[in-house]
Amino acid sequence: MAGHTSIPGQDRRRRRQGILRASGLQSVHVAPETGPRGDVLVLVFLRGGMDGLHVVPAHGDPHFRPNRPTLAPPEPGRPGGVVDLDGHFGLHPDLAPLSELFAAKELALVHASGSPDRTLSHFEAMQTAERGVSDGESVATGWLARHLNSAPSRSDSPMRAVAISDTLPKSLEGALGALAVNSIAEYRLRVPDHWGTGFTSLLTQLYGGGDDSLAAAGRNTLRLAHRLESLVASAYQPAGGATYPGGAVGDGLKEVARLIKADVGLEIAQVDLGGWDAHAVQSALVAPLMEQLGRGLRAFHADLGDRMRTVTVVAMSEFGRRVQENAGAGTDHGRGTVTLVLGGGIRGGRVYGRWPGLAPAQLDTDGNLRVTTDFRDILAEIVAQRLGNPRLSSVFPNHTARFLGLADPS
Amino acid sequence: MEYTRKDFLLAAGATASVVALPGCSSLVTRVAAPAVPARLSEVEVAPDLRRALNRIAFGPRPEDLTRVQEIGLDAYVEEQLAPERLDEGVGCRLRLGLLDTLDLDADDAKDWETSNYPEVGRGVAATDLQRACVIRAVYSPRQLYEVMVDFWTNHFNVSQLKAECSWLKTVDDRVIRRHAMGRFRDLLGASAHSAAMLFYLDNAKNRKRDEDGGAEPNENYARELLELHTLGVHGGYTLKDIQEVARCFTGWSYKAGFQWRPGDFAFHADQHDDGPKVVLGVPIPGGQGLRDGEQVLDVIARHPSTARFLARKLVRRFITDDPEPALVERIAGVFRRTDGDIRQTLAALLHAPEFRQGTVRKLKRPLEYVVSALRITSANTDAGGVLNHLERMGQLPYKWPMPDGYPDRATPWLSGLLWRWNFALDLVEGRVEGTAVPLEEITKAAGDDPKTALQRLAHLVTGTRLPEPIATQMAASAQTSASAGTITAAAVSQWLALLLSVPGFQRR
Repeated sequence: MAGHTSIPGQDRRRRRQGILRASGLQSVHVAPETGPRGDVLVLVFLRGGMDGLHVVPAHGDPHFRPNRPTLAPPEPGRPGGVVDLDGHFGLHPDLAPLSELFAAKELALVHASGSPDRTLSHFEAMQTAERGVSDGESVATGWLARHLNSAPSRSDSPMRAVAISDTLPKSLEGALGALAVNSIAEYRLRVPDHWGTGFTSLLTQLYGGGDDSLAAAGRNTLRLAHRLESLVASAYQPAGGATYPGGAVGDGLKEVARLIKADVGLEIAQVDLGGWDAHAVQSALVAPLMEQLGRGLRAFHADLGDRMRTVTVVAMSEFGRRVQENAGAGTDHGRGTVTLVLGGGIRGGRVYGRWPGLAPAQLDTDGNLRVTTDFRDILAEIVAQRLGNPRLSSVFPNHTARFLGLADPS
Repeated sequence: MEYTRKDFLLAAGATASVVALPGCSSLVTRVAAPAVPARLSEVEVAPDLRRALNRIAFGPRPEDLTRVQEIGLDAYVEEQLAPERLDEGVGCRLRLGLLDTLDLDADDAKDWETSNYPEVGRGVAATDLQRACVIRAVYSPRQLYEVMVDFWTNHFNVSQLKAECSWLKTVDDRVIRRHAMGRFRDLLGASAHSAAMLFYLDNAKNRKRDEDGGAEPNENYARELLELHTLGVHGGYTLKDIQEVARCFTGWSYKAGFQWRPGDFAFHADQHDDGPKVVLGVPIPGGQGLRDGEQVLDVIARHPSTARFLARKLVRRFITDDPEPALVERIAGVFRRTDGDIRQTLAALLHAPEFRQGTVRKLKRPLEYVVSALRITSANTDAGGVLNHLERMGQLPYKWPMPDGYPDRATPWLSGLLWRWNFALDLVEGRVEGTAVPLEEITKAAGDDPKTALQRLAHLVTGTRLPEPIATQMAASAQTSASAGTITAAAVSQWLALLLSVPGFQRR
């Protein structure tokens, strides 16, 4: 990608000095924390293009049902029907666990929201969403990374950001402290007991020098392994009677809750839930995903209890689906979708955003729900109001954010 | 008929199971264990030769370093560009022979897995193919060929994670392997006809819009074909082009009954939209049937954006994360002039001064890291337990869920260093199932003096000597565990674990 900076040439003398330092662990620059920290932000990325109309049906729109002859659940009040929220929108019955959070005014929904991407390619759209840029704009860093790099309360925690996944998502690319793990317990160096401390100490020296990204990544890795060793000594018991569902999102949220409660300095977490690309037999494909998402968020909320006051969760997807279902009872790539925002500091119980309508003339020329809220407006409000970072021009360059008023100042 | 086939499969499987017993895997060890040189070389290998071996191959074996030094890089490149003249070797063949499902058709593999015989595990076909990938990368003398198979496997990614692809990918792998060094148009066409691709990107479900309106053709394959397989996302096509390409491919499918053998492609004329279309400004006349799709493949395979897109990806694979536009243009020019001859395009790339003299180093991806570690340590592996490590590192072959293939840039992989270090530790400690490093032989070959032996090993693995204070500490730690004047395998184990973990071995 354009804008990617090459690794600066290594300075032989400096590297030598680095190696001579007693320990890379101690040599890492420690910046003191300044000012109070904001919320922990948990981003749940719903990969594959989540159908906002399936998840949050606009059952009050007269054009909803005709466009979804096989996919729409029955009317509210009927068996297996839509769970009504405000007379116009509802929750798919598989997401019923979220209705209590909506009623408690902790869950807000933003409909007809989405990415400015117009390619409707998964990769381009995810990149646009995770980079946090305009359509076709190419930068080498993710928006979460830019937030971490520009936040005024920059901490030295080796666990500022974690992705519960195999590889670092694009949103966190460029944040050197960000790590990808599948579970906390896995994060340890398996040095045989009889080797003593020699191996770790030598490895620390070998990564202690060098100002390139590989050496820095090595130092971060060693610090974190040391820190987490103590944390995983005891088994985790979720609080508040929470039962996490199995699967990627439940497991991921549980690990995140554990890290939040362990106070390792976590600021950003990302959990992925893929599989929403339902070109055919959509109902069967997304039912388990909705169940996992609803029960997962519900359990996370219960587990964190009072700590939800300083936690914000955003669940978003790279794009929505075509309004009219296709012949295979699926949907093709579209534009507007729904974004879920959950947290103690969120003015929930409302569906935000201007509803553009589903009549043929109200759709875009490709038959898609229009995007009336750029996802960056939602995220920017959270960055400013909940994460305490006013530098929105660094986080979302070339974008003037319009707040919806869904978040209280922290 | 069916009975006979199953019968045959079970008989074959029974034989394979016997072969897989410990007694016979020691046969593999005896016949096909990689040799450790009697004495580790003290000759310095030129850095450009080592770098070339790191990129043309999945890293050097000890004997490669001395051999390429002798014959020269040009001769090595020529040899690697003609894999059909290289024997796959007994090391590869014996190990691949233990994989029951590798040569089965997809439906046979599925039958085999869903049979009621408890010794046959679910998912064994997917695992066998992953093991074959690692075995070939570690043991095949056709290294450049295996690198290119990996390249095209990711370029035309079909994930085993999608339902029937668990078996279909085994057949699709043969499609990639047949054309990996051939002509791009042939590879593209074979991929378009492959049941795995037809299933993975939903082209098999792509049918014309009904007379009474209804659903549009399925655009999934058309979109990825232009974006990922040929022109690239900025290659100059519109949404209208995608829709027209989708129309051209309506009716492409496989034969009823889901037999999924090679050649089971079927064209359903009644599902094909036979009206005229325009793709990238080229008129496609009505009434051509199956020919529509072939004409689309002709047009896009020879489109200048495709040459540029592929050249850029090749430069990224072989030279740098950030390809120089001038080099990309030159390589794209060769691709165009040779009508997409992959071998000649590679020859131009591997003879380019940017390849020979470049100093920028790529970060090894997990597969490259693991395989290079197994090669440089002359490890004996059945590639079974190795897969758990690759999964943990995030690069289990054929498992990337999305059509764009595993990323080929450093950044997404930087957070996975701990898993590499743990692999190094497990490898030397004999904790990777089905894998052993010949520590005794390496210890003997390294010589008796701890410090000299350590520096020989450091040079073998990383191509450079260890800096002085560290070398002294490491040699000292070995002496405490050694009898006077000699080193022990235990010391060499610790040294190797560290050498496989240093920054220099993470790059290629």
